Amino acid sequence: MNTPSFPGASHLADAPAEDRLAFAITEVARQDPERVAIVAGAGGEAIRAIDYATLAAAVARLETTLDAVRPVGIVARARRPESLVVIAAACGRQHVPVAFLAEDSRDLSGELEDWVVVDDSLAIGADPAAPRREFEAVATQVVVATSGTSGPPKLVDHSWDSLLAAARLAEQWHGLGWILVYDATRWAGIQVWLQSLLTGGRLIVPASRDPDVVLRAVVDENAAILPATPTLLRRLLTSGDRSLVARARLERITLGGEAADGPLLEQAHGAFPDAKITQVYATTELGEVFRVADGLPGFPANWLWRSLAGGVRLGMRRDGELLVQLSRDTAEVATGDLVEKRGDRYVFSGRRSDVIVVGGAKVFPRRTEELLRGVAGIADARVYGLPSAITGELVAAEIVLVDPLPAGASAESVRAAALAACRAGLEPHGVPRILDIVRRIATNPAGKVPRRPA
Amino acid sequence: MTSGKKSVHGADSAAIAAAVVAAIGQVLLDSGRRPGPVEPGMLLSADLGLDSLDLAQTVVLLERALGADPFRAPGAGAPRPAIRTVADLTALYVTAAAAAGPGRH
Repeated sequence: MNTPSFPGASHLADAPAEDRLAFAITEVARQDPERVAIVAGAGGEAIRAIDYATLAAAVARLETTLDAVRPVGIVARARRPESLVVIAAACGRQHVPVAFLAEDSRDLSGELEDWVVVDDSLAIGADPAAPRREFEAVATQVVVATSGTSGPPKLVDHSWDSLLAAARLAEQWHGLGWILVYDATRWAGIQVWLQSLLTGGRLIVPASRDPDVVLRAVVDENAAILPATPTLLRRLLTSGDRSLVARARLERITLGGEAADGPLLEQAHGAFPDAKITQVYATTELGEVFRVADGLPGFPANWLWRSLAGGVRLGMRRDGELLVQLSRDTAEVATGDLVEKRGDRYVFSGRRSDVIVVGGAKVFPRRTEELLRGVAGIADARVYGLPSAITGELVAAEIVLVDPLPAGASAESVRAAALAACRAGLEPHGVPRILDIVRRIATNPAGKVPRRPA
Repeated sequence: MTSGKKSVHGADSAAIAAAVVAAIGQVLLDSGRRPGPVEPGMLLSADLGLDSLDLAQTVVLLERALGADPFRAPGAGAPRPAIRTVADLTALYVTAAAAAGPGRH
């Protein structure tokens, strides 16, 4: 269902990074005004389609206001995805710094003194006393909050260049339908809407993260690309409607935010046989570092200590923490991600901060989760540390049962089998001491599994 | 911090004793051991075979059942009698319940 690329797209990469989003939207609107840019509420009851002409007009209006007011910066506090897009495009071209703050990082807005808040009305109150910042030739920043997976959210400054560094502008990427399951105000979500609108594509925003709603959005809106965390993908595969999965025509699944394990990759390949599965390794601080496209977990062992595409160099500390050097001129950064060699691959064993310390012994929750997910009757699992005055921490787990349960199995028998499997496959301190059966694994706003008690 | 859980105050010592026995039974069952009778005079380690991980699990189960963890409560670092038997453990929770008293959040 590729729509033809838009004329002018070839000039896109020539435009300054901060102009590109507004440029692309305006250009598509000129060539193909009624082309749908955003489908909001997809898979739900109230679906809204916004075309490129509408989007371009809103960008132009906001640019006029920004040009008149020249605020020091804009804090985007909009709920609608189209508002975020318009704010980003207009601020970029008008060289106004912009901050995207997710719900849980709103209290960070105090750090952005004198910045003006813009909501879905896209209005900017004219305050003559407000400080102004004249149009500067230097590139302006984009502020994004980290997901807070391993600490409180913090604001990180990016340039438009770094924000767009991973965008794929080649023709094969034009005019595709992209599903947005990420929070639109976070790095991963921003990447999805930038990518889709820079390439004349359709941004498909499901009405909710409910697996069936997302799958209905994929099917009804003919989505081609699903960027997701392994946790969100696993949820679609384990609790989504099978007939919807079968009708999805995904061309590509881009996994990021967490490491995907082998069983999930196999399951995804079985469910979406035509989809190419790519794993992206990125952090809010570094942006995209590398991609793995061979459908296997981790990355090839010979990638370590070598210069990869784009000049990235991967290293490893003695304790297994992955080190990244983006280029020869930048410092080596400790990622907090632990890797271990398995055959000719390095696979992710977890975040350093996720390690549960039980009586001085380290437990990697991912390993326990993988083991639990392999038990008949278990659809999904989360392992986390509970504080204990006696052992420091204690391993706790939540499991989601398959529905229906295998013949002859009961919730109790699956639970007992899970504990027996852990006792057989793990050191004693790694066996979950608290094992709860839950209906759904909790995810944090970034679509990842939290590693501390809910 | 006990909202949504049963509060330890108001529970009589018999109920606390029953909760302790139930928690130990669960620990033995979960770890693949056959739970036998659990008597107040039994030694946690020598008679029941509970190690520190088992005890940590017991404490979490009791926190869920009774809404209190005397090992992590304020003043938990103060010296206290050794906990060797099932009755010692029960007494610790009964004391915690009494100390919490009525009106505690």
